[in-house]
Amino acid sequence: MTVHNIRVGQSKRGDASDGTLAEAIGGRLSRVDGPAKITGAAKYAVEQQLEGLVHAVLVESTIASGKVRVIDAAAAEAAPGVLQVLTPDTIISLKTAADWFGTPPPDKPYCPLARDITFSGQHVAAVVAETFEQAVAAAALVKVSYDETPSIVDLSDGKAGDGIPIDAMTKEWGDASTAFASAPVRICAAYNTPREYQAPMEPHGLVARWEGDHLTVWEPSQWLDGMARTYAEWFGIPFGNVRLVSPYIGGGFGSKALALSHGAVAACAARMLRRPVKLVMTRPQTFTGYGGRAATRQTVTIGADRDGVIQSIVHRGVNETSMDGMWVEPLGSVTSIMYATPNFSSKQNVVRVNSVVPGAMRAPGENPSAFGIESAIDELAYEVGIDPLEIRLRNYAEQDPHAKKAWSTRQLREAFAAGAERFGWARRSPEPRSMRDGNQLIGWGVAAGTYPVRRAYGEAVVRILADGSVEVESSSIDMGQGTYTILAQTAAETVGVPADNVVVKLGDSRFPRAGVTGGSRLAGVMTGAVYKAATSALDQLVGLAISDPRSPFHALQANTLVVANGRIASPRGDGPDVSIAELLNSVGRDHIEAKGDTMPANSTAEDRYKNYTTIAMSVPHTEGDYSRHSWCAHFIEVRVDEDFGTVRVSRVVSALDSGRLYNPKLAESQWKGGIIMGIGQALLEEGIVDRRHGRIVNDNLADYLVPTNADIPDIEVISVGIPDLHASVLGGKGVGELAIVGIAPAIANAVFHATGKRIRDLPITLEKLI
Amino acid sequence: MTKTTIPVHLDINGHHHELQLEPRVTLLDALRERLGLTGTKKGCDHGQCGACTVHIDGERVLACLTLAAQAEGRAITTIEGLAREGELHPVQAAFLEQDAFQCGYCTSGQIMSAVACIREGHAGSDEEIREYMAGNLCRCGAYPHIVAAVRQAAQEFAA
Repeated sequence: MTVHNIRVGQSKRGDASDGTLAEAIGGRLSRVDGPAKITGAAKYAVEQQLEGLVHAVLVESTIASGKVRVIDAAAAEAAPGVLQVLTPDTIISLKTAADWFGTPPPDKPYCPLARDITFSGQHVAAVVAETFEQAVAAAALVKVSYDETPSIVDLSDGKAGDGIPIDAMTKEWGDASTAFASAPVRICAAYNTPREYQAPMEPHGLVARWEGDHLTVWEPSQWLDGMARTYAEWFGIPFGNVRLVSPYIGGGFGSKALALSHGAVAACAARMLRRPVKLVMTRPQTFTGYGGRAATRQTVTIGADRDGVIQSIVHRGVNETSMDGMWVEPLGSVTSIMYATPNFSSKQNVVRVNSVVPGAMRAPGENPSAFGIESAIDELAYEVGIDPLEIRLRNYAEQDPHAKKAWSTRQLREAFAAGAERFGWARRSPEPRSMRDGNQLIGWGVAAGTYPVRRAYGEAVVRILADGSVEVESSSIDMGQGTYTILAQTAAETVGVPADNVVVKLGDSRFPRAGVTGGSRLAGVMTGAVYKAATSALDQLVGLAISDPRSPFHALQANTLVVANGRIASPRGDGPDVSIAELLNSVGRDHIEAKGDTMPANSTAEDRYKNYTTIAMSVPHTEGDYSRHSWCAHFIEVRVDEDFGTVRVSRVVSALDSGRLYNPKLAESQWKGGIIMGIGQALLEEGIVDRRHGRIVNDNLADYLVPTNADIPDIEVISVGIPDLHASVLGGKGVGELAIVGIAPAIANAVFHATGKRIRDLPITLEKLI
Repeated sequence: MTKTTIPVHLDINGHHHELQLEPRVTLLDALRERLGLTGTKKGCDHGQCGACTVHIDGERVLACLTLAAQAEGRAITTIEGLAREGELHPVQAAFLEQDAFQCGYCTSGQIMSAVACIREGHAGSDEEIREYMAGNLCRCGAYPHIVAAVRQAAQEFAA
């Protein structure tokens, strides 16, 4: 059994200081998958021990543009232990799979090893050997020669051009340019973000095994059903023939949602060799084997009156994409909703460069978008001489300025108030360079963030077993957000059993289906599905107890019964009081099972397949009468060494509105994680491109700097959310992506307050300050 | 074929293992690929992330930068060997209580580092903990909770 299978009772409880029982929905139950993770017992996908397992290692292109002339594999093939060298000429042919929207693909073969090179680090060959060491050594012997052609290395390359307009990104109302021209106060600035990388601690990889025409893939996955569909389409086999198993995921941050070319290589090798194949990317390969966050450029112009009230926003954005793929990072997403403005224009282009196609990284779109608008409004605040917090309240959007719809809930004003109070914002001296401690300049900055409530549908099975325990199954996943835990809490509270008695099984595509774990949607989707399934199971249980002639409650003629703490009784307190196990035994049942889903009634099997294997059926956040978003306000203190320009974040207070929290202990952890990744983005993270060959120079964890423990101060997070039943069945809004949004501008704003220097180009490194 | 492997005797978590390995096999790959001890994680294979931290003769060591043969005759402790007779080590218990991890992939290394950090006497203040735990990266960003867990466990040891 490869799935996670731990009983809640093995873990310690959180405290119940807020009055909520730890194991109820909203309680601070400790992670139920925690014991497995702290003892090393949790088996991650590529840790399966299989008989006959062999190892594959990728060979990558060393040029960014051109053609492979010759691959000389002779030395590699002759090396000890080598079973096969796969090249574009020897690998089996696959079919092209549909993209994640489910768009029908072109009817042409797909080869996961490239002859035509469009970026440095593209997979061109793979070596399979009996041992990992033999495969690594032999891969180094593969000689690839190229016909190199000039490349466009990044957005600042002179050959890059203006790119392709993406009309779907255009958002306009009023007459933004006229209003800007006539505004008494005008600011205009350009904001840049570099390539950034998800860098999950677990590298991407997989174990692939064929049994006849059935493929099993153990692979860290944010989307089992979507990836299973891709594998099935590549190999031209039925969807049901592919099983994806992903019990634990060592971090994803957007990067593990899609089946990628290295997965195709491993599955091909396994098919060709008729042996299970393990392929894990090296850390450098994780910088080119899939895309990080695209580099972006934005200009933000704001026209305002002298009181700082915005009259017009004109926004133009550009992001990079690859030569043959299309990634749009929606740069106007926050710009268009954060502040009330009568006139607005946002447009975006996409520029092709010789890079791997960029991908989703924590809050794609919202994150760089917020860096632009939340920096710009800070600039406006200084221009008109108004406190940066006050100017945000003065331009507060009482409804969605773009969709012209009411917010479902927007506790942003409450977030500003709670954060400012806790941070001590009122004690801020407004002038830049006016606060210091010795040779450290101190700056206080504020910025807001937001993330839309993305909704989709999910299924779950809830079983009440003969021993009175409850089992939950879903093909959704837990990559650290706490899915195991919150689904245990949901089932426990809904059925009426102690959380100790719930086992949650996730991460196997054989279980009832779930869509992508991305866009902060899973908790809302899956608590809804489990709630429905558990309610249905409870109804069956109570129905049996009332109506089955063998039930001890049969003579009672009750209309309903109460199930609590694993026992069934009459709400009036008369009659018997028996355990669930006793009842099931008395009526001769070994289990009760109910499937629940949140799909619209009358959904067809085709609808369901499409929903779970593509993102085509995601519900827009502005569907119906409301605009649904999470919100947050960040207050940050930095200390800048006046001589050396080094920036340290010394204090963070963030107040966040994610609606109802299913488990505050785990939500706080995710929020802090987002804040910390935002500190990395602001101060450290930048993919550096070699201008000759388009290589990522710092493609490792020593040179691509992510925050370390020593970079991070204490962080205080405050929940200001209220249940939002327009957002999800149980009232939660997104948690995982929200908190990173607004961190980088809050830090840039604090750095300006400390130093008087406005840094509009991330990361904020010392050479930009001295 | 010429003989390319050597016998390596490893003492891991109090158990003796006899392996026949190529000399180039790292301790990390010996643990994960040969012995099924997958609690020790591979994050970078270059000594940059700390996920593979184990103890050799009580000191924290990066298993990816250590050849298996170098560990011969020395006492190796991995995350699987930390709990004694089913009782969690106080650092493990503190990590669970403080929610000092999310995805769990860096956690084994963090815990092994934390045990050594306390033993070294480097858990005297939050600042010191941050500094001496800085070699173990956590991309989920559990750092403040890791500091809290190390602080809590250190206080339990001191009490």
